[in-house]
Amino acid sequence: MKSMKKWITAAAAVAAASMALAGCAGGTSVTGGAEVKASDEDVTIRISWWGSDTRVQITEDAIKAFEKEHSNINVETTYNDWSGYWDKLATENAGKNAPDVMQMDELYLASYASQGSLLDLDKTSEYLKLDGMDESLKDMGKVDGTQYAAPISSTAFGVVINNDVVEKLGLTVPDTSAWTWDDLIAFAKQVVQASNGETVGIAPLNNGMTLQLWARQQGENLFTDGKVSISEDALASYLQMAYDWTHGDDPIAGTPDHQAEQASGTLDQSDFATNKQAMIFTQSTQISTYAKAAGTDNMTLVPMPNDDPSNKYGYLKPGMYWAVSSQSKHPAEAAMLVDYLLNNEEVGKTLGTDRGIPSNNSIREILAETSTGTDKQALDFPAQIEDTLGDAPSITPNGASDLDKIIARYNQKVMFGEQSAADAAKAMISELNTAIASA
Amino acid sequence: MSAASEFAVLLKNRGKAKDKATDTKPALGFLAPWLIGAVCLTFVPMVISLYLSLTKYNMLTSPKFVGLQNYATLLQDTRYLQSLKVTFSYVIISVPLQLIAALALAVVLDRGMRGLTFYRSAFYLPSMLGGSVAIAVLWKMVFGSDGLFNQALGLFGLDVTQSWIANTATANGTLMVLHIWQFGSPMVIFLAGLRQIPRELYEAASVDGAGKWRQFLSITLPMLSPIIFFNLVMSIINSFQTFTQAFVVSGGTGGPNDATLFYTLYLYMQGFGSMKMGYAAAMAWILVIIVAVLTVINFALSKYWVHYDD
Repeated sequence: MKSMKKWITAAAAVAAASMALAGCAGGTSVTGGAEVKASDEDVTIRISWWGSDTRVQITEDAIKAFEKEHSNINVETTYNDWSGYWDKLATENAGKNAPDVMQMDELYLASYASQGSLLDLDKTSEYLKLDGMDESLKDMGKVDGTQYAAPISSTAFGVVINNDVVEKLGLTVPDTSAWTWDDLIAFAKQVVQASNGETVGIAPLNNGMTLQLWARQQGENLFTDGKVSISEDALASYLQMAYDWTHGDDPIAGTPDHQAEQASGTLDQSDFATNKQAMIFTQSTQISTYAKAAGTDNMTLVPMPNDDPSNKYGYLKPGMYWAVSSQSKHPAEAAMLVDYLLNNEEVGKTLGTDRGIPSNNSIREILAETSTGTDKQALDFPAQIEDTLGDAPSITPNGASDLDKIIARYNQKVMFGEQSAADAAKAMISELNTAIASA
Repeated sequence: MSAASEFAVLLKNRGKAKDKATDTKPALGFLAPWLIGAVCLTFVPMVISLYLSLTKYNMLTSPKFVGLQNYATLLQDTRYLQSLKVTFSYVIISVPLQLIAALALAVVLDRGMRGLTFYRSAFYLPSMLGGSVAIAVLWKMVFGSDGLFNQALGLFGLDVTQSWIANTATANGTLMVLHIWQFGSPMVIFLAGLRQIPRELYEAASVDGAGKWRQFLSITLPMLSPIIFFNLVMSIINSFQTFTQAFVVSGGTGGPNDATLFYTLYLYMQGFGSMKMGYAAAMAWILVIIVAVLTVINFALSKYWVHYDD
């Protein structure tokens, strides 16, 4: 009994200590409505991003140049891969030590902005100019009318064709300037047949941006006013693709198992990067990444298939954003850094198209003049698909940041025949709505 | 664990005799590294997570108290139920198989063959590597469609091109094999246990005409039962916490089609992916309860089959 009492006392002590600790962690430094002013004294700010080794290299080069110009500002850098980045960023925000400048994605922008984690960039307009980019692109950095993020780049979606693979099979690429979905499927089938099933034609669409495009091709939108607005029919036809393309004679995407294996692999090991697939749906700027991985420049970037030529379904999606933390003690310096990364022409050349096509129009023009090969194709692509570009869609609402994973999961359910496309569409819409409502 | 029990002894003895009391303070001083670690890194976070499990917490804004809502939602979450199914089938199948493999190998090695130390180390090696990311990546390649496993089958004239990792029916199975492959650490413990069994028992039994199998059933198993029990309990607890392998093999998705959606993986996805920390904390506490209940049941059942000498 006596030891029991002691344990209770100990437990109470632990509880008390934890309250005290929790109390300590509460100290915040929200800039709120305070005026944003650059300091003359030495300041240290931190910037964080996700991405490859190349990106790390060139971003650090750019930051060194920034530090040289602003001798009182010291910039610390942290970087991570995509999924590790979001784990860490959320934890840092919870611990009130978020980086001053963070790379942001469209999927997460509304989540972070609506929870008060990001600074209204209009407050830093003295240091950060956003007038170098198109208005429609700039608007995609707004959440509920407030400019919470600065688009770094834009990206369009298209189809990349590996001509080496096609030529080796003795095939010719059809006219893609106005091709339909049937055209694409027919060509993919040729690839599979000519290679006796050794080469995959193309993998089905399975992420947020392609679902958005699919919805827009049917005259709908994925989200409207922070709610799911795609119809069950449109979503079902999208999910059905995963089944149709992996079943029947000569399935153009191979077996469901094969697609599932691809989904869990890395880009470098993917069929397309290893010359075992003829075409891929991807963001336009990824063409150079794939070209490098596959070891061939013989690739062409062409528009998405579209059944209704009058439909303005396309849009330029902000590839990434820079955002400033609302916890930042030095918002002015953070804004200066963002401005430098976005608008400085020399830095623009250093950074190139690694983060997508630069949002700053004059930098884009400079790059277009000097670039060659696949880089040039990516830079020219927006002009090529100009006729299909419509209004920018609403960004992914708070609570739906898992969109890509949710799509991939329902895609697999349909692909493995566990659920019909119609049932999956219904379930997926309800899951998304619940996630948004409970956020 | 031993530090905890020593600490309890210290508390009990405090103030009993004067000379003992003077011993307590330095002892506590020596225990401080463990104490501080246990309090700050284990007890306090546990209490906080218990509180968080009663809240809605997205890490960006302060937690909001919602009572037992998270626990109620869990019961209706079909993916949560799927994660329970995946984890339980993994534990139920791989734990006994691993222990059987470990025991069988230990018995063979205990016969005192040449190069015993080499074999012991060789068999132990997977246990040290098995939990690592590198092995999980290797596993993914071995059981992939062009993997070593299919190539090995090819040598026997079997032309298999399916991926064992990406197939919903076999994905969890490959992870079970990975778990069983790490039989080294229970094996080493079994070996130590086998050495403790008095040789006279075997001699007496063979004089009485008992064969090898009979000796194994009537001497080895009962004498080894405390060790088997220890391995069983530890193994069950560890298997419930399987994360790395499933995370790497499925690319963090629990796929294909949630076939490798392990409990802790789903917990992680909810906490960090969907930023539902409160929900994840509730899951964590249910896992604690599941493991605690199973351990209690294990201890209760142990009196029917575990024999202690003294």
